[in-house]
This record gives sequence, C-alpha cells and structure tokens, in this order.
Amino acid sequence: MKFTWKWLLDHLETDKNLLEILETLPKIGLEVASVVNLAEDLKSFVSVEIIDVKKHPNADKLNVCKVFDGKNTFIVVCGAPNVKLGLKSVFANIGTFIPGLNLRLKKGNIRGVESFGMLCSEKELTLSQNHDGIIELKRSSELGLPVSNILDLNDPIIEIEITPNRGDCLGVRGVARDLAAAGMGKLKKLDIKINDGEFDSLINWHVDLNENEKYLCPKIFGRSFTNLKNVESPLWLKNRLIAVDQRPISSIVDITNYIMIDLGRPLHAYDIDKIKGKTLKIKKSKKGDNFFALNGNTYELDDNMLVICDEQGVDDLAGIMGGERTGVTKDTTRMFLEAAIFDPVSIANTGRKLNLHSDARFRFERGLDYSSPESVMHYAAEMINKICGGKLSKIVNFKLEQKNKIIKFDPNIICQLTGVEIENELSKSILEKLGFKIVSTNKFWDITPPTWRPDIDGIADIVEEVIRINGYEKIPSIKLPRSNYIAKPAMSIKHRQPFFASRTLASRGYNEVITFSFLNKTMADKFNGGGLALNIVNPISSELTDMRPSIIPNLLFAVQKNVNMGAQTLSFFEIGPIFKGDSPNEQISTITGIRYGDKIKKDWQKEAVQFDFYDVKLDVIKVLDSIGVPNNSLKIFQEAPDYFHPGRSAVFRIGQNIIANFGEIHPEIVDTFGFNKSSIGFEIFYENIPLPKRNKISRPMLNITNLQSVTREFAFLLDEQIESEKVCQVAKSVYKDLITDVIIYDIYKGENIPKNKKSVAIKVTIQPIQDTLTDSALEEISTNIIRSIEKKLSGFLREI
Amino acid sequence: MVSELKQDIQNLLKDITTNISKSKTTSELENIRINSLGKKGSVTLYLKNIREFDIETKKEIGAYLNDTKNKINKLILDKKNVFKKEYLKEKLRLEKIDVSLTPYEAEAGTLHPLSRTIEELYAIFADMGFTIVDGPDIESDYYNFSALNIPEEHPARQEHDTFYLQPDINGQRKVLRTHTSPVQIRTMEKIDLKNFNEIRYIIPGRTYRSDHDATHSPMFHQCEGLVLGKNINMGHLKGCLIEFCRTYFNEDNLPVRFRPSYFPFTEPSAEVDIGCKKENDGSLVIGKGEDWLEILGSGMVHPRVLQGVGIDPTQYQGFAFGMGLERLTMLKYGIPDLRPFYDSDLRWLKHYGFIPFDSPSLHSGLNGIFS
Repeated sequence: MKFTWKWLLDHLETDKNLLEILETLPKIGLEVASVVNLAEDLKSFVSVEIIDVKKHPNADKLNVCKVFDGKNTFIVVCGAPNVKLGLKSVFANIGTFIPGLNLRLKKGNIRGVESFGMLCSEKELTLSQNHDGIIELKRSSELGLPVSNILDLNDPIIEIEITPNRGDCLGVRGVARDLAAAGMGKLKKLDIKINDGEFDSLINWHVDLNENEKYLCPKIFGRSFTNLKNVESPLWLKNRLIAVDQRPISSIVDITNYIMIDLGRPLHAYDIDKIKGKTLKIKKSKKGDNFFALNGNTYELDDNMLVICDEQGVDDLAGIMGGERTGVTKDTTRMFLEAAIFDPVSIANTGRKLNLHSDARFRFERGLDYSSPESVMHYAAEMINKICGGKLSKIVNFKLEQKNKIIKFDPNIICQLTGVEIENELSKSILEKLGFKIVSTNKFWDITPPTWRPDIDGIADIVEEVIRINGYEKIPSIKLPRSNYIAKPAMSIKHRQPFFASRTLASRGYNEVITFSFLNKTMADKFNGGGLALNIVNPISSELTDMRPSIIPNLLFAVQKNVNMGAQTLSFFEIGPIFKGDSPNEQISTITGIRYGDKIKKDWQKEAVQFDFYDVKLDVIKVLDSIGVPNNSLKIFQEAPDYFHPGRSAVFRIGQNIIANFGEIHPEIVDTFGFNKSSIGFEIFYENIPLPKRNKISRPMLNITNLQSVTREFAFLLDEQIESEKVCQVAKSVYKDLITDVIIYDIYKGENIPKNKKSVAIKVTIQPIQDTLTDSALEEISTNIIRSIEKKLSGFLREI
Repeated sequence: MVSELKQDIQNLLKDITTNISKSKTTSELENIRINSLGKKGSVTLYLKNIREFDIETKKEIGAYLNDTKNKINKLILDKKNVFKKEYLKEKLRLEKIDVSLTPYEAEAGTLHPLSRTIEELYAIFADMGFTIVDGPDIESDYYNFSALNIPEEHPARQEHDTFYLQPDINGQRKVLRTHTSPVQIRTMEKIDLKNFNEIRYIIPGRTYRSDHDATHSPMFHQCEGLVLGKNINMGHLKGCLIEFCRTYFNEDNLPVRFRPSYFPFTEPSAEVDIGCKKENDGSLVIGKGEDWLEILGSGMVHPRVLQGVGIDPTQYQGFAFGMGLERLTMLKYGIPDLRPFYDSDLRWLKHYGFIPFDSPSLHSGLNGIFS
C-alpha cells in the first residue's frame, strides 16, 4: 500500500513530522517497506525557456536549442518533436543523474555539435512512461526553479506492508485512523456533502440470486451521471496516482482509482451508452460464459462465479475487474457508478481460479467497510462533479440488513493474555479511537467493532487492538519458570541416534549435505519410487517432480556436481526423510551415505586404494555401534534392493527388520552419471532399531582376570561358496566363555588349493578365566575347534 | 728392587694407557686388553713372576699390580663407552629422515551449518525446558491450513505458494507442508487433558514452497515452538524469545523489538526484530546500529485453533513461534547466499561446515570457534 505524505495529511491533523510517523507505523503493525522522495531525486532538474531553435546542420530530426534558466544560457541538442521557440521545459545540466535512463549526464558531441545538457521527457524523470516529447511547462512558470516545485512533486511516497487482516488500511484514511489512535494526531472529519441527485437513475440493479445466495452480494449501490466531460485529470490528481503506481487514464477512471486508494473503497464506472438495456443483473455465471476484461484478456468462466450482466451478457466480474465492452473512454458523457459489497470468499475463489489479480480483488478479498457504499456515492459524486461537471441521478441500491456483531468482553482478559496492566479507561479510549462502540455493563463490555473491521470476531482480536496501540514495548518480559525440578533431555533416543551417527560419519571423512526431498521421475523410478501419490502436481522444475524414495540418487547427483568441478574423492552423507507413500507413517528417516574415489591416495608412502564394499560395510558397523547396535546383534543377508550391485551388496537385519542396505551402486545407475569409479553407498533405517532394553543407568559388574591370554592359529580348507565369516562364528561357538576373539588373518585361493576351494586362516584368542590353561587343555580346545569346523562347514585343517 | 719394579709397572701402565687412548676400534681395544690382562698379557706376566719375591715384596707389588689391573680395566671400559656413544651417534646420524614430508590421510568430514544451527537451538531451548518433536513433511490440507485457521479462500494462503501432490481417488490432495506449524496441531491433538499441565515443544523440520530465486528455495527449514499451559501469557513469549535471540547471537544487550503483525493461527501476533547495522557493502552487524531485522514470527495461540483440537481457550493459553533456520544460520555465520545450502559443493561444505567434535552446548559454547 502506497500513499504520499501530503495525502496522509488530508486525513490526519498532526504536528508530528514524517520521521515520527515512520517510527510509529511499524509499532502499530504497519511495517514500512520504503520511503521515496521524488523531489530529492529530481532537485537538479530546473525550469528553462527555449530562446533559440536552429536545425542541426548534420541531422534532419535534431535541433540545436539555446535555453535560458533566468541567469545563464546553454546550448542543447534536442531530438524531441515538440521543441519550439518560447517553450518552457525541464533542463538537466551536465553532471545530473537521469533516473529514467539510469545514467549521469556528460558533455555530448552529437553529430559535430556540442551539447551542454538535456531537455527531458516525463519518462526520463520517472514521472510516467511518456517519451513522446519533452515536458511542456506552463507559460507562467518561473525560470531556474527545481521542477519538483513547479510540478508539485515535493511529497514523499511511503509504502507500507498490509497484513491480510487489515483491509481497512488499504486506504489512506484507515492508516490515518490508526495513527490517530496511536496518539499521532487527530483523524479529520470526512467532509461528505450529501447530494441526493436530480433524476432517476438511467440504470437499475437487479440482484438475480436466490434468497440463500444473496449473501454473495449483500449490498450494491449505483447512480448515473450525465453531461460529463471525461477530461484529463488535474495535475494534483495525476501526481498522486503516479506516486502510488496508478497510471492516469481519464478523469473518471482516475477518480475511481483515487477513491480506492484514498478510502480503500473500489468503485466501477460503466459507460451508460454501452450498456444494453436499463438493468444490470448480479448473478452467478454458467460454465462457458466468456468475459472480455479491461486488461485486454478474455476469460472463460466456470459455474457459480459472481458476475454483472446487461442484456448482452457478462460484462463485469464482480469485485475483480470490469469489462472492456462497457468501460468508460475519453468520449464517455454518461456514466453509471457502482459501489458494492461482495462475499470475500466468492471473490477469492473466482480470482484464484482465473488467476486474475487486481487492486479491487485484493481489497474485496480482505473485506470492505460495510457502510461504505452509501457514503462513497456522495463522496465520488462531489469529486466527479468538480472535475467533469455534469448532472447526477438519485441512488439505486439493493441491501440486506446486517446484524451488528457484539462481542462480550471482560477487560481483565487483556492482562491475563498479555501480561500488560492497562487502565480500563485507556483500553476503552484506544478502542473508541479505532471506531469500536462500547457499552459497559458491570463486569463486561459489549463491544461493537467498526464496520471497516470485518476481521474482528473475537476476544483475542480486541486484546490485540488494545495492546497494539498501547505499544508492544509495554508487554513485560517474563522468564519462563522452570517446570521440571531436574534438567531433562530435549532429545529422545530417536533424536540422539542421528546426532551421534553424524559425528561418527564426519569423523570417518564424510561431509554432511542437505539435498531436496524431491527428484526427477526417472531417478524416482529407478529407486523403486515414482508412484502417483508422491508426484508433485506443480513442481518447480521437471527435475524436481517426485518425492524421493531414497537419498542415494541425490547423493549421486552431489558426487556428480563435484566430479564435474574436478573433485576425485568424495564421501557424503545426509540424514533426512524418504517417502514410501503419502501418509505420515510412510515417511522414513534415514542416514544415507555414499563414497566415491580413493580410500588411500597414492603418495610417497602408499599406493592408491579405492573405496570398496568392505569400507562402507565397516562405516555402517561403526555408525550402528555408535547408536546402540553392537555388531554381534546384526545378521547379514545378500539381498539388497536392485539399485545395488547384486554381488556386492548386503543388508543388515535385526530380527525381521532391515536396519541397513549397503554396497556398490548398480553399475547401470552409476553409468548414467558418467562416473569412472564405482560408488558405494549405504542407507541406515535407524527408526527400525529397537530401543535399548537396558533401563538401568548403572553398568553390570565387570570381572577382570590377571591371567595371560593365548592365541592359536589355524588354516582350513573350505568350499569356496561358504561365507568365510562362518568360520569365526563356528570357532567362537565352541567355547563361548573362553574364546574372546576370532579374526580371519588370511584368505587364499590358487596354487596348492584345489579348484572350488579356499583356505581361510584364523587366529583365535583364548582367555583363561580361573586358572592358567595346561598344554593338554589347550590341545583339547584346538581339537574341538577343528572338529567343529569339520562337522559344521566340512572344512579341514590345512597343514601350513 | 721394589721401587724399580714399581717404576717398570708404572711405565707399562703408561704405555698401555697411551695405547688405549690411541685405539680406534673395539677390536684394537680388545687386543690391548689381551696383551695386557690376558693369560699371557704383560701385566699378567708380572703377576706370575711375583711368586719369586719375598712375602713383603709379594704383598706390596701384588697390591700395586692389582691396582694397575683395575686401572686398565676402567680405562678400557671408559674407552668402550666412548666407542658406544660414537657408534650410536653415527647410527642416529644415518637414521635421519626428511621430516618435511607428511603422509596423505583423508580429512575428517564436516557437519552442515544448518545441522549446527538446529543443535544450537536444541541447546538453548533445552535449557528453557523444551523437548523436541517432529511431524510429517507431507500434510493434509487440514493440518497445514484449516486447523490453523487458514480456510481455503484466505488471502494468507496465497502467500504460501503451496506444492500439491496428485489428488487421490476422492479428489483429496496432500500438500508439502508450507510451514512447521501443522505439527502444533498434531501435538496438541495428542494432549490428554486429564493429566495435562504444560507443554513446551520445539519442532524443527523441512518446509516447502514453490518459489525459487536468489532468496527463496523450494525447500527450506523452519523451527516451530509451542508453549501451552494455564498461566502462559504474552510476557512469557517475550521473555522466551528475547532469551533465545540474545543467546543465539551471543549478544547480552542485543536489542529485540516486538512488532504487531498477523498470522491466522495466533492472536495477538508479533513479529520479532533484532537490532543491527546495515553496512554499505550490504553486510550486517548484528546487535549494533539503528536498523532492525525481522527474524521470527510469533503470537498467542489463536482461541479458534485451540477449540479445534478440543482445548478450552478459557482454561489454557499459550504461545507459538516460528523461524527460518537458513536465515538464522546466514546471519550468525556470515553466509551471504542461500542457494549453496543445498548444492553439496565440497568447497562450500568445508568452508562453512563444522568439525564433528565441536558439539554446541551451553557449557562449551554455541559459537563454533574451532571450525
């Protein structure tokens, strides 16, 4: 919402200055977006008279002019068609910044003639888009004055942000009223001269709606004007409209726009001579109706849009935009003026469906002053009469009686809700200045909100009005009292798990990224997503159409971006949601990572080694370990989803629940990214991890023995297909208490090993518990390990 | 006779001493030892010969010889130690390596600055008794809008630029939540009023709006706060948010301004500004100067929202607030641009990211000094 300082003063009687007003506006909820003073920008432009005009010797369309500013003369080369001797215009000297051209003026040499400045058009001064010729000042204009004085531009333009509830402040008067309530002056009385008109209106209303639909148009007023001269608007009016970004068109249109800004009250003017018949009907549209709007576009309407029609058909989209067919032009002499109240919901729905925005819609949607149609008929009439002359008719109208809304209000609620102690008298006075009517009974106040505040419908709204004007700075700052006697963690275990996982991963070389929750359809399909329920109807781009079924593709894109920038080795992880469906329990939080490139870079010590399956498996184990899942509780299965390499991937399970997928990404997918190294990824579904069973904080007793542990080594010849880790599991299971560790220290295939066999060498750590183990006891342990492997894995001890 | 003998032995000792000091290797030294103290050594020969002398002489010369022998042994040992030291010295000299070299090892990774901010928020709000709750990213119209007092035709909806998912067979279409506020409704629905005293929740999460330019991302992060109880008023809102702003920005006297505003789901509503100074180069200094910067929205939970979830607004009242986490992060850590947050550019992550061990807490600080 834009207005000018002088415009505000039309409604506000105040001794405060601009700065004080600007400081107050945000305090009462009217945020100041910008303040511009055109006079400041244009102070170097001065009035001059053209005292000599000669044709340019080398260019037909240019003139060489001599201009006089009352003291000095300047030579200016000018191409404007309206240059003539004696014309008074606007001159910019060398060094002046020309806002409309966004450049600083230098001495020019135009086709061999030196030019010492410039005569300016309205566009060059940003006064309008008019660039047809240089500005023509009045003959009586004094020379050498800043043009802002002559054109009356010395009026700062203020723009404020209006929240959706404050439709009343979409008019200058509403802003003035708020400022007055906040002690910034006195709201001037709106001087409306009642003029009942001389003749019956040439056009009448017919509200063609069922009784139960009349709420769509609870009020509509109109009156006819004849013998009008739709002249160009006076300068003051044009300046005000230009200042608030309204293009001056003709005085009738300008007046309706002016009143819309002035009172926040949109109006519509019809050319009576273009209306077919003598009645305008307010009705609901039928699907297929066409409407040719003032903006030059044709709209095909849907059912149930509120329209205004003459005998020929739809010619006004109620509250949104008038029709081209019956619009006023410079030639209009007979005009019918409309001021109505329409249902904001209906206006909003229609506007949204047609994607049609207008200043009128903006105001109708936010709710208008219910009492405004009556008064504006007189207010507008006076202005039209003053500028366009003519005669005016009586008013024709339709209106539903509106019951007054009364809110029962206990003033104590103000303190209860906000903590502000405020005298009842002060609260009352604030509300009354804002236009609220208050009738006090003993404890309660019966409050009637003003007609221009349809947003007020409850106690909390009234509390806000009081404290807003009283000042939010008067709300005390109270520390939240401690509700618990002991500090409690803010995080649940399910919040702590990703917190720890991220640290484990980062310390292992992974960089955390955050990527979008959506990706393209192709990738969604490849990662077993892409279902209709997760497809975005209005995506921002064709690359971001589907909710992601996995974070892995996003991480592959991340790797790709960096590889394209020259990176060789990348480890990324992200903790975030994936989507299996659109219901809340189908959103799954995962910890997902990817490694690409060299685990060990070649340097003067080492040869390069690339990341492989086992590196990422270890990452997964370490992460799980750091979030409460010991390695021995995990079962591994080679059954990862098909976006992994079938032979180089696996899942970890606890019971039936999959805790993690991991492995090489399928080469077909990797190929689409153009990588020359394999990518190894994992996804951990930490929500599937059972909560720790331990409910005691204290730890179980630890028994430490002082006896030395012994190790024994074995090599077994096994069938190649047997999972090597089984050897460890079997060996360990022989003496669960004595054998503390079994590691595979060598796997060998090739010479001396039969085909389809492999040698697995293990080192077993045996920890005596009570007594040192005798040689024969150790011998027995060894024998039992060997027998067990023979029995369970058909493996035989290999002579080393 | 005795003195002559002594003189001879003394000369011998002198010669041997000279030889020891001249010796250059341990084997030379060993030869000297054998030649003097060995079975046929020069000193040993004297010892063998003293048998011929009388007891007195034998005693005197014997003691003298023993003394000489000890002296020689000591000299040899000392010399040996010298050799050992020299040998070690030489060995160490040869073992010298090029200490300028450093082997390559993969660097530790970094945590994303947004995660950092979320954790800082956890620390600050945990201290004020809040706990963390989450909600889904895909929401129904009801939770995202209607239950928050934003009906279909409400002008506030148009400011939300909502992403819609494909409608289901009943024509219902889900939305990607445009703010974290729907989680307010979800948490309040779960309240068991029989055992209810007070809740304090913070709700961080992803939010979505179909807007993409230099200052808007289709996905961004918000953190919602909700406090509800019997005696919670707007003064508590003010106290809580002033404490938050000052702790987060690490400025004891940070000016914090509350300004009337409008959100459909709070009444009264307040926008919160912090004091700052806008430098000519476009950068901001938080806490100094005359300008104000809007950083969060807040208000008392709207009575209609409470009624909608079955809570009597005359019995319970509370406040809610919401803030954009990218903006908070950018302001605190001087990150000029929004879009790289989601670009996964390693150079950006390393520059603006945080080392994993620098976990923000009130006791170790919230300002990421070591990263």
